[in-house]
Amino acid sequence: MIKNYIIAHILNGFSKNFIYLIFLFFLINFEKSLSFFSLFKIATPSLISIIIYIFIKKLNLVPSYFILFLLGFINDVIIGSNLGTTPIFLLLLKFFSEGLLFDYVNKNDQQDWISFTVTFLASFCIVFFINILLNSSIPDLSPVFYYVGTTLIFFPIINLSINFIFFIKRLLKS
Amino acid sequence: MVSGKPSQVKILKGRKNFNLFLVFLCLTLVFLGKLDLVAVRNIKSFFSDFLAPVTYAFNKPVKEIAGVLEDVKSASSLRDENIRLKSELRRIKVLNSKIASQELELFELRELLKVLPKNKNNIVTGRAITAPGGVFANTVLINAGKDYGIKIGQPAISSYGFVGYVVNVGLKTSRVLLTIDINSMIPIYLTESNWPAVAQGQNGNLLIIKFLSSDAKPIDGEVVETSGHGGRLPPGINVGKLFKSFSGTYFVRPAVDFHRLTYISIITNQKKNIAVLDGFQGFAPLQKPKKPPVLKGLDSSGTRKIERIEN
Repeated sequence: MIKNYIIAHILNGFSKNFIYLIFLFFLINFEKSLSFFSLFKIATPSLISIIIYIFIKKLNLVPSYFILFLLGFINDVIIGSNLGTTPIFLLLLKFFSEGLLFDYVNKNDQQDWISFTVTFLASFCIVFFINILLNSSIPDLSPVFYYVGTTLIFFPIINLSINFIFFIKRLLKS
Repeated sequence: MVSGKPSQVKILKGRKNFNLFLVFLCLTLVFLGKLDLVAVRNIKSFFSDFLAPVTYAFNKPVKEIAGVLEDVKSASSLRDENIRLKSELRRIKVLNSKIASQELELFELRELLKVLPKNKNNIVTGRAITAPGGVFANTVLINAGKDYGIKIGQPAISSYGFVGYVVNVGLKTSRVLLTIDINSMIPIYLTESNWPAVAQGQNGNLLIIKFLSSDAKPIDGEVVETSGHGGRLPPGINVGKLFKSFSGTYFVRPAVDFHRLTYISIITNQKKNIAVLDGFQGFAPLQKPKKPPVLKGLDSSGTRKIERIEN
């Protein structure tokens, strides 16, 4: 009986993580393909970081470290960047999102945005620094600013959309 | 009674350790990737081959939607576009008549100088599977690989000009490093001011000019082509146009729109006709004329007397 319970628990965890992986893989591909639009010609917003943050903070759906590592690795292979940089970014994002440091500000959407900004910028700065070290030169900063800017603009939009969906759901239930 | 709390703490600690291990693994991967080992390259190309169809399937709908939106946008400016194209056509007609006579002259001069014939390149054209761009890397994956004879280092072009060169080859796919990538450096030639230099990508829209002689006086708007120095890239491929920034730094604006790349051609073989033709008796190519020596004021001993006379 206990054995069956353990197997069921493992299978449950595995299937959950597998679904996360498929969903996030789809999202990362969608994010990259956004560059076909002239608006995101310079850089595409980091939808993956927004979704992971919302998953962890709002929906309490925490993807495992291994899934994030695998996803980052796949992303690096697809876009052809230095292997290992995206996994570091995603792992740091999860690490900072789970950190208790920002828990006291997560009261409303505005404070949520501040919390996300700090989390995202902290992870991005570390990865950016690693990339500067790897290439031994500073890249053009305009795509970097555009990337950070669009991500921070998109966060409240996605956040509000999710809140709205939940509101409708609650309304329908009541 | 044993409570469940300590085991939870242990699990959390274990997770943290696992996270640290993964971060360490990532750093190792970064280091190994930078070493450019053959094994890492092979792993990359294997995964690229494996993921290419999936990526293509995911990208296709978004690409189509973006195309439709672009079409709608351009439909609104059809009238202006028509006027612009008409004037362009008129200009091209005039140019065409000039080019025909100049081409004939060029052929005759080539014959006279016995210029070595230009190499005929074999070209393989593939479809771009992924979108270019990203903050840290600018590469494109194309759906042609070793099976079409593509090798690392071969140049990639589009109808507008130079796109980049191949950095990784799988069985079915190849990765092209775009000229705008920070790791890309190409030897170039300023076609009007006649100066060689190197154009380096910056992960932005422009290429920065490096190693340009201090004596050079580049002309704003002049065409930049590959110089072929080093023998890695063929000469004469259009790279873009030169322009000077407010700070005085020279940049190249690429001729290719990297975000609209659909098909990319790879020059797969550059046959080198190094062997000198038998009985070659051509003339040396014309050099830029040097200033002729001024003989005015020289006496029979070769000393200049102008100053003395003026004094």
